[in-house]
This record gives sequence, C-alpha cells and structure tokens, in this order.
Amino acid sequence: MTHSQSVSPVVDVLDFVTKQLPFSELPPSCAHFYVNHAKVVYITSLNQSELLASTDKYLYLIRSGVFDLVNTVGEVVTRLGEGDYFGYPSLLTGEEIKNHLEVQTSGLVFLLPQQDFDFLRREYQKFEQHFVRAHKKRLLSSHYQERGRAWPEHKVSALMGKSAVTIEPHARIVDAAKLMQKAGVSSVIVTEKGELSGIITDRDLRNRVLAAELAPSASVAQIMTPNPKFIFENNRAFSALHLMLKHNIHHLPVLNEERVPLGMVTSTDLLRQQKHDPVQLIGQIYKAHSHQEVIRLAMEIPALLRGFSNTVEDISFIGTLLSGLTDALMSRLTELFIQQAGEPPCSFCWICFGSQAREEQTLHSDQDNGLVFSNAILDHQRDYFARLGAYVSGHLISCGIKACPGGIMASNAQCRGTVDEWVLRYEQWVHTPTPQAMLNSKIFFDRRFIYGEQALYQSLNTGLRALQQQELFFAAMATDISTNSVPIGLFMQFKLEQDKHKHRYLDLKIRGVAIVNDLVRLYALKCGINKANTQMRLAALKDFGVLSKEDIYNLQDCWRFLTQLRFKIQIEAPDLPPNCINPEHLSSLERHQLKEAFHLIKQAQQACVFKFARGSL
Amino acid sequence: MYLSLLVEVYSAMKWRLPQLFQRTESALWLNSELLVVDLELTGLDPNSHEIVSIAWVLIKNGRIELQQVQHKLNSDVKQLAQSPVYHGIGEHQLAQSGERLEQIIRALGAELASKSLVCHNASLDWGFLQKYMNQYGVNVTPVHIIDTLKIEKNKLLRSQTYLAQDQLTLAACRRRYGLPTYQNHNALSDALATAELLLAQVSHLDRQGVIKLRNLVC
Repeated sequence: MTHSQSVSPVVDVLDFVTKQLPFSELPPSCAHFYVNHAKVVYITSLNQSELLASTDKYLYLIRSGVFDLVNTVGEVVTRLGEGDYFGYPSLLTGEEIKNHLEVQTSGLVFLLPQQDFDFLRREYQKFEQHFVRAHKKRLLSSHYQERGRAWPEHKVSALMGKSAVTIEPHARIVDAAKLMQKAGVSSVIVTEKGELSGIITDRDLRNRVLAAELAPSASVAQIMTPNPKFIFENNRAFSALHLMLKHNIHHLPVLNEERVPLGMVTSTDLLRQQKHDPVQLIGQIYKAHSHQEVIRLAMEIPALLRGFSNTVEDISFIGTLLSGLTDALMSRLTELFIQQAGEPPCSFCWICFGSQAREEQTLHSDQDNGLVFSNAILDHQRDYFARLGAYVSGHLISCGIKACPGGIMASNAQCRGTVDEWVLRYEQWVHTPTPQAMLNSKIFFDRRFIYGEQALYQSLNTGLRALQQQELFFAAMATDISTNSVPIGLFMQFKLEQDKHKHRYLDLKIRGVAIVNDLVRLYALKCGINKANTQMRLAALKDFGVLSKEDIYNLQDCWRFLTQLRFKIQIEAPDLPPNCINPEHLSSLERHQLKEAFHLIKQAQQACVFKFARGSL
Repeated sequence: MYLSLLVEVYSAMKWRLPQLFQRTESALWLNSELLVVDLELTGLDPNSHEIVSIAWVLIKNGRIELQQVQHKLNSDVKQLAQSPVYHGIGEHQLAQSGERLEQIIRALGAELASKSLVCHNASLDWGFLQKYMNQYGVNVTPVHIIDTLKIEKNKLLRSQTYLAQDQLTLAACRRRYGLPTYQNHNALSDALATAELLLAQVSHLDRQGVIKLRNLVC
C-alpha cells in the first residue's frame, strides 16, 4: 500500500457520491477526488448562519434533510433534498450568493471548496457542463416566475406619500385650511389623543363651509367626516382601491397596527400606480376617443418600458408587450377611422408580419402590416381600404413606429388585397425562389391576425396550406439559411466582425436569433403550423416528428438565452450597433453559454440543410 | 488510608483533570478542533483483547474534514478469534496493508495533541488507547473527552426514565437525528458516523455560537 498521501475515502460517502450526477457519468477518480476534498456539516435553522455565511465559497451537496432555496424577495426558488446541489451559480459567476436557505428538515451537507470545484471543472468536461447547464436552467426557471409584482399587490405603506398631517377636533376650520395649504395636501386627519377621529378634505371645505356659509372660525369637529373608513399599512393597494370604489371615497387614512395614523392614501396615488402598468395602458388605448389621444398614450410607451424592464425578470417579455401595444394602437385607430369614414364596404382584417407577428418587437422595429379583404370586393370599394391603410400607417408613424423601408405597410397597394390576391403573391415567392422572394418569405410567412374579420384570415391560411408543401421551396429556404453562418470557428472561438470605428462585435440578431427564427419557420411551414411566435412554433413542433424533443429543447433554450442577452445589451451597451455585443464584456459563464448556443445552432443548421436541401447542394 | 483513597480518586479522574483546570477558558465549539476516533477490537477487555484497526476523522470549526481522515490496520494482531464477524478484517488483509501498532499509536498521539477526543462510548476506546499509549510512552492528554453515547443517554434520560439497551447504539442514535444509514462497519465508517452524530447532537442544542466544548463533556 502506498503511503498516506492518497487517503482511503470513506466507503459510504463514496458510494453516495458515485450515485449522483455528474459523478455517475464520470470516471471513479472524480468521485474519489470529491470525497477526499469535501467537508461535512450538519445544518439546522439555528446554525446555518454560522456555517453557511462563510466568506469562502463552496459547492454544496445535500446528503440528508430538506432545504428551501429562497430568493432575495422571499420566494421559494426550489426545494432541495438528498442529492441536490446548491451554491454553484456563485462559483461559476464569481458573484455573491443571492439566494439563501431555509431549513425544513435539518441534515448533512457536503461542502467542496471553490479551488477543488475549479479543479474538477478543468479536469472533467462533463462536470463543467453539468453545472453550467444546471445554472442555465435555474436562470431560466427563475425568469418564468412572475417576479415584478403588479401594483395591486403592493402594500399601502409603499404608496402612501407624505407623513400624516393631523389636527385636533377643537381647532378652527381656518387653521385646518392653513395647515393643508402649508403641507400641500388635499385632506387632513383629525385626531383626538393621537387616535383617528375624522377627516377633512378640500371638498368638505367647499360643501360644508363655503356653500353652507359656515364661519371659518367654527371648529373642525363640525365639518369633519367622523369615524372615517381607514386602512392598515400592511394591507394591499388593491384593498384600498376596493374600499374607495365601494364607498365612493377618494381619501383613506393609513393606520399602523396600534391604530396610530401614519398618513393618507388618495385615489390619485393609486391612479399614479396604474399609469406605470402596461396592461392599463393597453386598456386606455382601447378606450381612446381620438387619434390625438391614441398618439398621446403611445408617447408614454418608451418611458413605461424603461420602468417596466427593471421590474420584469424575463425581459424578452418586452417583445410580447410591445407587439401587444402595437396591436392595440392599430385596432383602436381602425375603429376611430370607421367612426369617421363609416362602416367598411365589405369584410376585412388587419394582419401583421415579421417581428410584430413573432412578438419580438423592439423600440426600433418598423411597421410590417397589411390589409386583407373579401374576394367579393368591388373595384370602387377599394378606395376605402386605401384610406384606412394610409390613416393607420400614418398615425402609427406619429406614434413612434417607423415606416417600413421596404414598404411593407397597408398604405402601400402591394400590401392590400383580397384573400386570392394575397395567395397569388405567396405563390410567386414559393414557385420562383429568387433571393428577393426568399427575403419576402422570411417576412411574410411570419404573420398574425390583429383585427377585423377572423374568417378572412382563416381562409388565407387555408389558401396557403397547399402552396407551402413545395419541396423546391423548402430546399431553397434551407440553402438560404445555410448561407448565414454562425460566428463560431472550428475550435469554438468567436468570429468577430468589425465596424468602421474598429469596434469588434458579434451580431446576436442576424447571426443568432434570426437563424433560429429561420430554422423554426421552415420546420413550422413543413408541418403546417399556423403560428408566428418562435417559442409557440417550437412548442407545437413537439407533436410532429421532424425534430427530436432534445433538439426542440435546445433551440428553445438558445432562443431564450440569445433574446435575453439581446435585450440586456440593448439596455446596457448603446455604443455598439443595435443587437451587437463584444464578448469580452460578458462574464465567463455567459461567454461559455453563448458559445454553446452558437454551437447548437450550427448543428441545427447542418441538420436542416441535410434534411431539406440534400439534392440541391 | 486517606492517601490511598486520594490516589484512587486521582487516577480515576486523571483524564478529566485538564478540563477541570481549564474550566474558565474552554474553547467555543465552533472554534475548536476535535478528533473523532473509532477502534475495531477483538473483544471488550483492554487486558486480554487487541486493537484490529483505528480510524480518525477531524472536525474543525464545526466542519468534518474528509481530507484528513485516516484508517489504519494493526499488523501486530495475534488473535483475531471471532472478531472478523463484526469488523470483516481478515488476517491476510492485516498482514498486507497493516502497520505496526506502535507506529499507529504514535501517529494518533501526534494528531491528538491539543485537540479533544470524541468517541461513541469513550470509556471503552479510551481504555484501550491509554493502555497502548502508556506502553509506547506516548504522553498525550486530550483537551476534553467527549462521548456521543453519554450525550445521547443524558438527553434521553431527561425525557424518559427507562432506556432500552439498543437505544444507544451508534445506528439507533443516528436514526433519531434522521442521519443516513451506513452499510459498512469498519472503523472509518464508524468514526465518520460518530462525527456526524456529534454535529447533529450539537446542532440540536440552543445557541450554536456560544456552545463551549466543556458543555459537551458529561
């Protein structure tokens, strides 16, 4: 037997570790190394702060017990039990540990110090991959939890403006008015011995003093609303709103648990909250009375998104939201047009294409829309839709959604037509796949219904279904996709592009997201899936055999990761071209994930060419 | 006569003396180093039976250091008798991978200096260790001797009056804290099992940060 340096590991620990991923798929030496470098602690709710709040970082592996991983806002991210790891995100990213543990059942936990974790990462690629994937998954799953709480869930105390402005009941009315003027408030709380006894509002001064010709020297007690409704500081904003609506009041004193008045919450405070809520904005757009009002509401969109992007975790949701807002603008403008110009001469519907259809819109996206009307239309009736197209497109430009440089807008005659005319246009692209036809296909085959007669949209889809099953067209599309290369070399290094200022960058949109979109569109067309959103298309593709489940998951992951990164840089790095990134500015984990994503896209690209373009290449 | 009584009391308490003197400055549990030791024996009597193997595990700052475990087989064993039934170590294995007992005891002595000793049923293991330490002139006294069996016994006696014999085995104690069942019963597995048991026992006492080692000595 060799001398002590190679310690004989404890067999029971080794048995346990060997059964866990990733060790079960690695040579025994890996588990051996782990066991010889780990520490064991027993964690309870009483000692966890001492044992876990160490400045040294560890990979934790649970041997027994149950622990909840809780994020910074107190939500349970996941429940951990025997065989689960935690602590790796911080080991991989070098960032501080954000989540903390809540002990459900005390138990044994193995700790592997950072340097030993790093050693295993270097030595065993599968070990590295396991934790990078687990981290990616954790990131993704945490994005799907709705984190940015909607305002109705906020506590009243968060909405309450100033501290309580109070007055005694025997004070003179004029003193109350002066106090309100000085504090700049529209209401005052009347307290007796520190307890709430009534409130006075601006309206009371008008109705109960001036209109009633009461002397300003009379006592506050005479005009106050005694025993007013109130709310506790820990109640939700929603309860406050409910109380106000129910009793038709605009002011609610806020009390703490000891019933001491803390301040006032007003209906204005609540309205201010609503204004920052995109859903409310969509609601307001649908109710706007004029195109001026629509435009004014649209002006609020950029500010709202900036505020909103701080509260949502999954920033790719912003694409969905912007598309929703654009849909609302188009729908309302159409209704306003009909109010002015009269009912349409025949049935029609609005459709959109490209990024709006895929729900990937950004603030820089331009218009891609069209009008479809009934085959029964008479020639002289077409003028109505020309005016409708011009009206909506024109006002959309005023709303901040730029005109399409390629003219894909309903103001252009090429983007208006009967169902049959639209089918004919598609037919030309499919039958003669010129480069321009390929470009058009990419935009027009991502389409979505927005407003009007849905049956028309259905018949357009039906008309296109037969057309889409053209092998030659698919082969041309696959070939076209393959010409757009993924920016990664043979040995997994990035291939950077350079702009005229010598900035080196990667284009995440053209070289990443767009390729995934193109691939998924091709498979979706092949399977006759009438959806435009890439994630929805991927979800629908699970029912067809053209892509394996694993390929679908990989593409979903890649798309989410790239989209997330793309939105992130849109906010953070304005000096590069839009959608571009310098990989040097990424963390090592992000760089790693990005390479992995590009690698997966490359594989999917090759598989697609093989599947659809075998003959023509 | 009084003198001989005094000598008897002294020798009975000898190993506890250091802790009597250090009562005022016993180290905090979280700042201390403990060596958890387990012996596999050929029987229970230090005078007629032998040590088959010794394993030890270090607890430092409340953490078990798996990097520091040791498992030594005694190549000097003369009479294994029926004991392999319990520890599964055969004569062949001892001859092949064993070390001289003196070497093992000296290594353990060096490790134990300035640390506390932890055993499950310490009087048995410490009885054997003392005998051989004396024999080889290893003069080491642990700071404290902590017995997980006694900790458990006292804890149980506070809630019940009668203790069944099998309530205090290492496996039974571990089950009470929900610790995993170990399949192997060599000295190393048992030493780790004892170390984990101590961690669990300490964790169920209040106010971790201020527990001193002497609070664990019964």
